[in-house]
Amino acid sequence: MFAGMNREDQIFRALGDPTRRAVFERLCRGEAAVGELTSGFDVSQPAISQHLRVLRGAGLVSERRAGRNVYYRVEPRGLRPLVDWLGHYQAFWTERLEHLKTLLEELR
Amino acid sequence: MSDATTGTTTDAVVVDYALAAAPDVVWRALTESDLLARWLMANDFEPTVGHRFTFQANPAPNWDGIVHCEVLEVDEPHRLAYAWRGGAGEYALDTVVTWTLTPDGSGGTLLHLEHAGFLPKNAMGREGMGRGWRGPIAERLRELTESLR
Repeated sequence: MFAGMNREDQIFRALGDPTRRAVFERLCRGEAAVGELTSGFDVSQPAISQHLRVLRGAGLVSERRAGRNVYYRVEPRGLRPLVDWLGHYQAFWTERLEHLKTLLEELR
Repeated sequence: MSDATTGTTTDAVVVDYALAAAPDVVWRALTESDLLARWLMANDFEPTVGHRFTFQANPAPNWDGIVHCEVLEVDEPHRLAYAWRGGAGEYALDTVVTWTLTPDGSGGTLLHLEHAGFLPKNAMGREGMGRGWRGPIAERLRELTESLR
């Protein structure tokens, strides 16, 4: 819980690369095929495909096949682990502050 | 009194707590190592800026049970801040815990906790997130955070 869990690490790693982050941000604006993504970046198609694999591995992006084309889109709940992580800490501090309150009552 | 309100932003956990105890008593509970151990964790805290200390808890999977800390600010009995670090490597947690104590006007204390820095700048890209949390990723995180309320 404290050091960060595997899922968050994967997300951080996936978004830590500037090109991958830019691809993800582009997909936030709408679904796209690899070809469209490649034309928007100064990177080869195999490189874009590799970035998409990492984003998929982190649960941030999903793919949809239509005929010969593969379209990529943002997974709506992909960033949820980061929010959950904050939720763990929120629960931790709320519990600890209840202990603090009890201690303060003893100190009076 | 247990008027606690909690919340999260995209980058911080915030807790506000109304306590019946006076600020100087709350300050003792935040800064005397043995008292701190009774409500938070075993520690070797000292209220001196620059002092490095640890909180120790039971190890868990992916965590050795140690929080590595450094005192950043001591303004008795108003404000206390320390770095709160854990894990290892490039994606380690590097956060800051800040306590603010305000007299409530009737002998008690309004205690404000902010635990910030969960989405590390290094992991999100120096130039990208160093400017602050804007853009589509921050926007999505904000939507998710708000949907949990």
